[in-house]
Amino acid sequence: MIQLKSMLNCIDNSGAAVVECVNVLKKKRAATVGDRIVIVVQKQRSFGSDPSGNSGIANKVRRGDIRHAVVVRVKKEMQRPDGSLVKFDDNACVLVNKSGDPIGTRMNGVVATELRGRQWSKILSLAPMHV
Amino acid sequence: MAAFTQLTRQPGCLRSLMKPQSIIQSQLSRRSVSTAYSARPEPVPLPANLPAQFLRQLPERLRPREPKKIKIIAPPPSACKKCPDPLAAVRDAQLAVLDPTGERRALFDYRRSERSAKVGDILRVTFKNGDPFNGVCLSIKLDGIDTSFLLRNELTKVGVEMSIKAFSPNVESVEIVKRTEKRKRRARLFYMRKPKHDMRSVENIVTQYLRQKSALTGQRSSGKKR
Repeated sequence: MIQLKSMLNCIDNSGAAVVECVNVLKKKRAATVGDRIVIVVQKQRSFGSDPSGNSGIANKVRRGDIRHAVVVRVKKEMQRPDGSLVKFDDNACVLVNKSGDPIGTRMNGVVATELRGRQWSKILSLAPMHV
Repeated sequence: MAAFTQLTRQPGCLRSLMKPQSIIQSQLSRRSVSTAYSARPEPVPLPANLPAQFLRQLPERLRPREPKKIKIIAPPPSACKKCPDPLAAVRDAQLAVLDPTGERRALFDYRRSERSAKVGDILRVTFKNGDPFNGVCLSIKLDGIDTSFLLRNELTKVGVEMSIKAFSPNVESVEIVKRTEKRKRRARLFYMRKPKHDMRSVENIVTQYLRQKSALTGQRSSGKKR
């Protein structure tokens, strides 16, 4: 149930850490897994702290940036067609550009399989695990 | 013939219009005078054993008739008596299809069967599509064919909960990986969502169990490890 002012974790390496939902696209209700939302980056990953590996990779987004994102995990339980329910302990999203391609190149964290039915297979293939 | 009567009726009608005044008046005057009460005549009873050929001349309501015969239909057999507990019958029919051996029923009916899975046990579920899901059982909801159990695990440091229908055709197998050391005193272990009581990931226990199992059976376990 992602709506205006919901805070989500960003689980890709685009540089955002915590983002805030400012709009749910194509839907009048709260967003769930697979829905596209508009977000504001509230906290960015500190790229200066890790001098060895990540120093070369600059953050693609900065604090205050307005971007599109796809919800990949929600706390609210989702019902599968066979009646089973899946829920996660946090709300998380992945930043995408206007055409729907992910901004980051890697993802850390499990995502919901519901993304497959919503034409987000690219995100699903980046994810290390899905349930 | 009909045209002729119409023709004759028309002048007759005219004639009556022309003359009536005196007659009507005389009739009215006569009626106003006659005030003497006369009792209503008694209905003449129908003569008994009237020959059948005269009956047609009587109005229908006066003709003697036999009482109407009403066809009495027997009530349908009682559905209540035939099937005293229809819900149980439906449930049993569904269980017979989805769980013919009764194995799954015994695995989750913790009220009756001793060897069933209990809350706090670590379970491993394999689905038809090959995906496994492991987790500690937080609750078992016994509800006939809708029986479900709630598993909790931690994948990539994110808590994941899945409520799975025990008799779902998507569920290939359910294994008890590890039983709880101590009997839990709660039916629902929702307190295990709190950080203080959270078991975190059960993947290590499950991989250990799978290794032991493959060593015992001497074959590689099906399904990818998580």
